[in-house]
Amino acid sequence: MSNSIVKLLALDKLSNLFNMIKQNGGIRGSLYKLYRQEELKDGVLVGEDELGNKYYENPRYFYGRNRWVEYNDKAYLDYDGSQVTAEWYGWLHYKTDLPPHKDPSRPKYKWMAEFTENMSGTTGQYVPYSTTREKIEPWVPKQKSSA
Amino acid sequence: MAGALARIIHGSKNQLGFVGPLVTVNNGSVRFQQTKTSFGPLADSDRIFTNLYGRHDWRLRGALQRGDWYKTKDIILKGTDWIVNELKTSGLRGRGGAGFPTGMKWSFMNKPSDGRPKYLVVNADEGEPGTCKDREIMRHDPHKLVEGCLIAGAAMGAQAAYIYIRGEFYNEASNLQVAIAEAYQAGLIGKNACGSGYNFDVFVHRGAGAYICGEETALIESIEGKQGKPRLKPPFPADVGLFGCPTTVNNVETIAVSPTICRRGGSWFASFGRPRNSGTKLFNISGHVNTPCTVEEEMSIPLKELIERHAGGVCGGWDNLLAIIPGGSSTPLIPKDVCETAIMDFDGLVAVQTSLGTAAIIVMDKSTDIVKAIARLIMFYKHESCGQCTPCREGVSWMNKIIYRFVEGNASPKEIDMLWEISKQIEGHTICALGDGAAWPVQGLIRHFRPELERRMAAYAAAHGPSLAERLY
Amino acid sequence: MLRQPLTRALALSPSRVAPLAARKFAAQADKVEVFIDDKPVYVPPGTTVLQAAAEIGVEIPRFCYHERLAVAGNCRMCLVEVEKSPKPVAACAMPVMKGMRVKTNSDLTRKAREGVMEFLLVNHPLDCPICDQGGECDLQDQSMAFGSDKSRFTDIHFSGKRAVEDKDVGPLIKTIMTRCIHCTRCIRFASEVAGVDDFGTTGRGTDMQVGTYVEKMFLSELSGNIIDLCPVGALTSKPYSFAARPWETRRIDSVDVLDPLGSNIVVATRTNEVLRILPRTNEEINEEWLSDKSRFACDGLKRQRLVTPMIADSRGNLTPVEWEEAIVAAATALRDCPPDKLLVVGGDLADAESLVALKDLANRLGSEAVCTEHYFPLDGAGTDLRSSYLLNTKIANVEDADFVLLIGTNVRFEAPLLNARIRKAFIHKETDVALIGPKVDLTYEYTHVGDSASIVKDLATGTSSHEVLKRLENSKRPVVILGADQLKTSEGPALLAYTQELALSLQDKLENKEWKVLNVLQRTASQVAAMDLGYKPGVGEMLQKGPKVVFMLGADAGVITRENLPKDCVVIYQGHHGDAGASIADIVLAGAAYTEKNGTYVNAEGRAQQTLPAVTPPGKAREDWKIIRALSEVVGARLPYDNLEEVRARLAEVCPSMVSYGDVQNNNYFAQARALAQSLQKPVSGTLDVQLKQLEDFFMTDSISRASPTMAKCVQAVIKQKQSPY
Repeated sequence: MSNSIVKLLALDKLSNLFNMIKQNGGIRGSLYKLYRQEELKDGVLVGEDELGNKYYENPRYFYGRNRWVEYNDKAYLDYDGSQVTAEWYGWLHYKTDLPPHKDPSRPKYKWMAEFTENMSGTTGQYVPYSTTREKIEPWVPKQKSSA
Repeated sequence: MAGALARIIHGSKNQLGFVGPLVTVNNGSVRFQQTKTSFGPLADSDRIFTNLYGRHDWRLRGALQRGDWYKTKDIILKGTDWIVNELKTSGLRGRGGAGFPTGMKWSFMNKPSDGRPKYLVVNADEGEPGTCKDREIMRHDPHKLVEGCLIAGAAMGAQAAYIYIRGEFYNEASNLQVAIAEAYQAGLIGKNACGSGYNFDVFVHRGAGAYICGEETALIESIEGKQGKPRLKPPFPADVGLFGCPTTVNNVETIAVSPTICRRGGSWFASFGRPRNSGTKLFNISGHVNTPCTVEEEMSIPLKELIERHAGGVCGGWDNLLAIIPGGSSTPLIPKDVCETAIMDFDGLVAVQTSLGTAAIIVMDKSTDIVKAIARLIMFYKHESCGQCTPCREGVSWMNKIIYRFVEGNASPKEIDMLWEISKQIEGHTICALGDGAAWPVQGLIRHFRPELERRMAAYAAAHGPSLAERLY
Repeated sequence: MLRQPLTRALALSPSRVAPLAARKFAAQADKVEVFIDDKPVYVPPGTTVLQAAAEIGVEIPRFCYHERLAVAGNCRMCLVEVEKSPKPVAACAMPVMKGMRVKTNSDLTRKAREGVMEFLLVNHPLDCPICDQGGECDLQDQSMAFGSDKSRFTDIHFSGKRAVEDKDVGPLIKTIMTRCIHCTRCIRFASEVAGVDDFGTTGRGTDMQVGTYVEKMFLSELSGNIIDLCPVGALTSKPYSFAARPWETRRIDSVDVLDPLGSNIVVATRTNEVLRILPRTNEEINEEWLSDKSRFACDGLKRQRLVTPMIADSRGNLTPVEWEEAIVAAATALRDCPPDKLLVVGGDLADAESLVALKDLANRLGSEAVCTEHYFPLDGAGTDLRSSYLLNTKIANVEDADFVLLIGTNVRFEAPLLNARIRKAFIHKETDVALIGPKVDLTYEYTHVGDSASIVKDLATGTSSHEVLKRLENSKRPVVILGADQLKTSEGPALLAYTQELALSLQDKLENKEWKVLNVLQRTASQVAAMDLGYKPGVGEMLQKGPKVVFMLGADAGVITRENLPKDCVVIYQGHHGDAGASIADIVLAGAAYTEKNGTYVNAEGRAQQTLPAVTPPGKAREDWKIIRALSEVVGARLPYDNLEEVRARLAEVCPSMVSYGDVQNNNYFAQARALAQSLQKPVSGTLDVQLKQLEDFFMTDSISRASPTMAKCVQAVIKQKQSPY
């Protein structure tokens, strides 16, 4: 009965909203989150990766939207899908339900490379060195040896 | 070879027609009415070359005894028109193979002078396989030629004659040179030749052994010291010839018979042979005959009679005959059944789809590998093609490749038609007539011996499986 | 050897050698009517069937025929049917006859073409995919148009095709002789146009090979043209080999600046890189030839380039800087310089736009010391009258000359295509040539009068006993060409005065009043424009004043060196190559080469032509006039033009003829120049010498060709060839 009244008055939505605001650090924090990721969600913190990105889950949301990542605050607006580390990628994309820290079959060896985000389009991107000759050979002035 | 190359089946008349309007269409201008219906054998008294076999002295003294240089001065003094007229009356046609009326050819030279000198060039580059008439004249009767040069030169107002002699003819060139020296010493040529007041020089130029230099314009190039490659016509040599001056190129035999014609009269000469084929002619008979020989005979003598009478018949009898090449290597062959009735003159052989050429009769009996024989001829033409123009350079060597496969039979029967077409693509598309001369033997072979070719291919296929040539079809 | 009555007679001369003359003199009346495919066409007698067909736009295929070479008639591709002729005739050699009916598309014609094409392909390798001629190959095109669609060359299974060994004819021409179709165009070019009888055929029939008889380099300054002439890929460009396909390149019409003639060229580029340079037909200048330097020096555009402005640092080493810094430095130097201590020098390859901008800038700064590197006498009329420093006869008219007198010039290397014209006249028109100066090989026979300058004086005063004087006086269209190099000496003014006297006294006697006799052959592409614009020829006088700032606009001739400048002099060099100029500079402004800018050049005849930008200037380099314009802004003497149209408007203001592109004005005022020169006729005694004597001197004469590796290879190869016993 009370449930239905709550529903009728959409009070459950209201409590969700309060929950969200509370979880995201009050009004200020929530506005900041909205500004940063245009979305305000509440959920259970499932884990955190080595870059400081936090992974949440809330089954209340529609499948496909019920797992999400909140990027490290340090990234501010420069976050990018490729910042999701390799371990968490599977969980985030529903390839597995086991978060990496609970998955025993994921040993970490020394030889494994550090995860790096995709640098394409930035100054840090990989550029293969040119194997072709310069089209123009510039003149190199003779250096004066006396000086 | 001379003429074989210069031979332009129908072309010459028309093309010369472009040169000057003075060519009258009734070129034959049969002034002598021939009444005889059978021809040959030639009476000894009517022979022009009386020392053909070298049994007498070939030098000046002997020549004088035989009647050379007799009243040459009078002939010269009768003037250009008389000589040309006499030649026209005689109906003499070029003995080099093309058979162009000599009188008319000389008359081209009598256009008003533009200050350039005129030259007579004698084509003694006798290279056509099977032909050996000019060398007999030059080594045994050189004075006939020298005198002929003078008369021809006088007829066209030439300043000098160049005799271009084949490089291999060493003895002939020696004899000729001696004869010229004798003539100079006797005052017969040179300044005031024969006392006629006419100055005329004769030079001998030895070639270096290229068959193509028997083509008149290649010959002119060769005398000028260039590569012997035929020139484009027009302009014809009568317009722009040796050293850029009007020039007439004549065969040795043509020149050598002209003094006798002038002495005995054009109508005497015209009394031999059929109309438009008049005169006497040196025939060379070689190959599978009992007594190969060079003989002077009346024109229009039947081929069979010529062989039986002078060459002792075909080896193994007439029935052993396979085919005959009637006019030097560049003329199409004719098989035995055609030979029975063939008449040895220009028109008679054209009627059987071949040509008189230089009248060098090559007789082949049944022991001959006819395909190989023709293949060898094509190889000769391939070797002698000057390489200047495309159809001859590429076409003849291609034909050579194909026909040598035909010898083995390693070919497709469809290639016979292809070869025919290739030969047609060469014929008439080249600068000079060497391409034609190379195409005709092949055409003659295909025309008359196609079953033989097909038989060989079938035999080869039976023995070795289908030829690779089938792949393309 | 070519000059024999035979060749002349064979040449079908009226139609072939002088289309110009035919155009001028052929009266309508004596034309012959012929029918090409039943269409009537009227042509002068002596025209060939092929030319008559071209008149009405019927193209007859050909390989060996070339309108500028003698007719060979050996490829047989141009066979056409002529009515009443049993055999097809070679259209390239057959003169038209009245009423001739030519069928260029009949069965007989088509069959003949197909046959010839089949024969050509029998021994032609099918290596089009690796052949540099692919895409611009006559054989490809014509076999598509006129050939058969299938092969029946069964012998490919048995004996295959002919293979021919390649020949080495030098560093410019690559030969793949298997591809040769024996059209003999190269042979005819070499003997007729280039005048080097190096090429010929050896062997007969299928064994015939085109080549130099003994393997040797093709020692000609026009050798590259046989690459264009070759209808197949037998002769291709060695520097350009495997570089690009013709359809990949962008072609920009331009003008050559490496010699004073301003030959018309096409610059082929791809991905902002000049790949090759081809000639562009211009009957008035280069016909369709191009000299080797103009054609092959384009790889010099990619080496030794100034790609960024530079300033000498405290130790005197040039270091790259940004434009701002360089311009400010240059402007400071210019502003601090007293006007009479500023020297501006225009170089060999400078375009008229930058020359006028630079002169305007200097004038605004109060300086009148605006010079070119090459001297020209200023006494008498000096450079005030154009007639005294131009080729007044005009290049194309030299063909019509009947006597050419060359004074102190080796035309063959100073202006190769002018020499080709003289040779053409020599061969086809029996023009006689005489030379005063050192004995050099001009590729044709000439009368060598001597090398003393006094001969010119004797000729001019009529006191010479040499037969040349008589022949000059008797000739109807004489030409006198004086090399500008001779005017640098102290006797220059007198020599010029005598030459003027000689030429103009001849000209006065001519019946043809239009004919000009006097010619001065400049050495560089920029000199005429510079003199037109008022540059003072020669820097000698200015140098003695000890300039404080020298602004060199591409001045690389080595006239100005550090030794002849005061120690504290600031040298500003603007140009495109690091050469003599840049290496002595304190400030380097990176400019654009002739393929990179829209520039006006005036050739030796006084014909203005423009180059078009084919590629962008490399790195930070900019168009020259823009740099000067920017500099003027910073100096504080702003030039009043902001775009090319405005610069050209300024050019037109100074010299109107300079913007009427392609035209050449007739020069007059000869008499005035002569009158002014009368007083200069002093006795002369020196000997005339030329700079470029041998072929190896020809290749590297300016900053572009000096930077070109190909040209360097040429020099090496020529020297090596000359040491060879063959």
